[in-house]
Amino acid sequence: MTSLHFSPRVPVFDANVRVGDRRDEPSPCRNREQLLAEMDRHGVARALIYHAQTESVSPVEGNGYLAEWLGEDGRLYPQYSIMPTPDSMTQIEGLQAQGRVQSLRLYDTSPAGLPFRPWAFDELLGWLSQARIPLWISLPEATLAELMETLPGHPHLVTVLVGAHYSHFLWTRPLLRALPNTYLELSRYEPIGEVEALRDEFGAERLLYGSWFSRYAMGPMLFYLHHTSLTDHELALVCAGNLDRIMQGEGRLD
Amino acid sequence: MIDGNRVIDFHGHSGRMDSFGMVDKPELMLQAMDKAGIDIACLFHIFQPDGTTSNDTNARFIAQHPDRFVGFAYVSPTMPQRMLPELARAIDMLHFVAIKLYPPYTPWPFNQAEWFPIYEFANQRGLAIIFHTDSYPTNRPRFLADIAPLYPRANFVAGHSGNTQEARAEAIAAAQAYPNVYLETCSTYRTPGVIEQLVNEAGADRVLFGSDIPLMDPRPQLGKIITADISDEAKRLILGGNASRLLGI
Repeated sequence: MTSLHFSPRVPVFDANVRVGDRRDEPSPCRNREQLLAEMDRHGVARALIYHAQTESVSPVEGNGYLAEWLGEDGRLYPQYSIMPTPDSMTQIEGLQAQGRVQSLRLYDTSPAGLPFRPWAFDELLGWLSQARIPLWISLPEATLAELMETLPGHPHLVTVLVGAHYSHFLWTRPLLRALPNTYLELSRYEPIGEVEALRDEFGAERLLYGSWFSRYAMGPMLFYLHHTSLTDHELALVCAGNLDRIMQGEGRLD
Repeated sequence: MIDGNRVIDFHGHSGRMDSFGMVDKPELMLQAMDKAGIDIACLFHIFQPDGTTSNDTNARFIAQHPDRFVGFAYVSPTMPQRMLPELARAIDMLHFVAIKLYPPYTPWPFNQAEWFPIYEFANQRGLAIIFHTDSYPTNRPRFLADIAPLYPRANFVAGHSGNTQEARAEAIAAAQAYPNVYLETCSTYRTPGVIEQLVNEAGADRVLFGSDIPLMDPRPQLGKIITADISDEAKRLILGGNASRLLGI
């Protein structure tokens, strides 16, 4: 039943929130308090956050800006970004040694000419797989051929594919079939009926709610998920349960 | 219906673009509409420049559920001799209620003379025209400000409200300047604060809910309106009140 007002009926843990300013795009939320207010407005209890500077400038420097957003109330979880350079690996290994890494986000090296191929990323992916750290990969910056060349070599690595668009429609099924430890984040995935269709084909445990705020508004995909044929159990998995499980290091092949 | 208000989706398609998952299966479209409370979807078919083939295809699709789908006529100035006869046929014989134009499939910005016979037709009939608008050279919303004052009995709708920030500003400026310019909301960009911006700067009575069904599922596009920080009255106007007034349905 749709109403002019919406609030979620299951706990919500947003799997994809960007904080801070890109060099070319100030964030609408200037600080942690404003982000929490936006989350409250949409009924989002927790969010996994990464810093905008890690995608537009430097993962190493950008990771350092996350601390001021985290607080101690357990609502915002850090997601650090990583690339296959000594400085980045050393930074992440240090954070990992402190128990502060539950997931990572892949920095896009393709504009600098480094493709996502085994000879460039196997060492990094092998370490993540061994350490049971899940990796978020942005589909708008990825190529299907590189994903399919590189990820099958790391079957125990849990990956979350972020930002699939209708222009990725032909990718999603081959990827989810070929990579059983891969999850699809839904922030931008709007082909008609596809949430229900992917649930039917792969199960609700392969899908994650993410808003990709502040790139996109926080509420629309959450509203969408609440107006599907997903059962409340499935909805709870997509909106929080799957992410909780992934961040505890559980893979589907365990 | 949403809280007793009839919901009209002003932007939808018949036809298929299989690479993007756009499939015009009525049962799929109605299931999504029913889950969200959308009563009517306005549909157009835009892939055949003769207009006739597109409009007949659209009419056959709509005839499967005439209580849920409403037709808009499509023509293209790439076949100029066909435009006016086909518009008259689509409106008078197929009972379509408005016009859809798609400048990206032509070489002409939509403020150029190639398009003017269509505007004159709409002006004579008091019809609405929805354009695809964005930041590309043929599709700029600022062209609305060139044509709207010349055809005051027609209404002009900026599909996607320009999509991008710069083009959106042009669409809003046109709506502020002319009472026969409207802004439609569907967009694959779901930038935070856009619905609020349209309402605050152009007025809720000038904003129309659209989804791009079935290229996009209408539910997240509806969610943009429902979860926006605007008044209930603004939501009622956007979701159906304005479209009902504009289309006479």
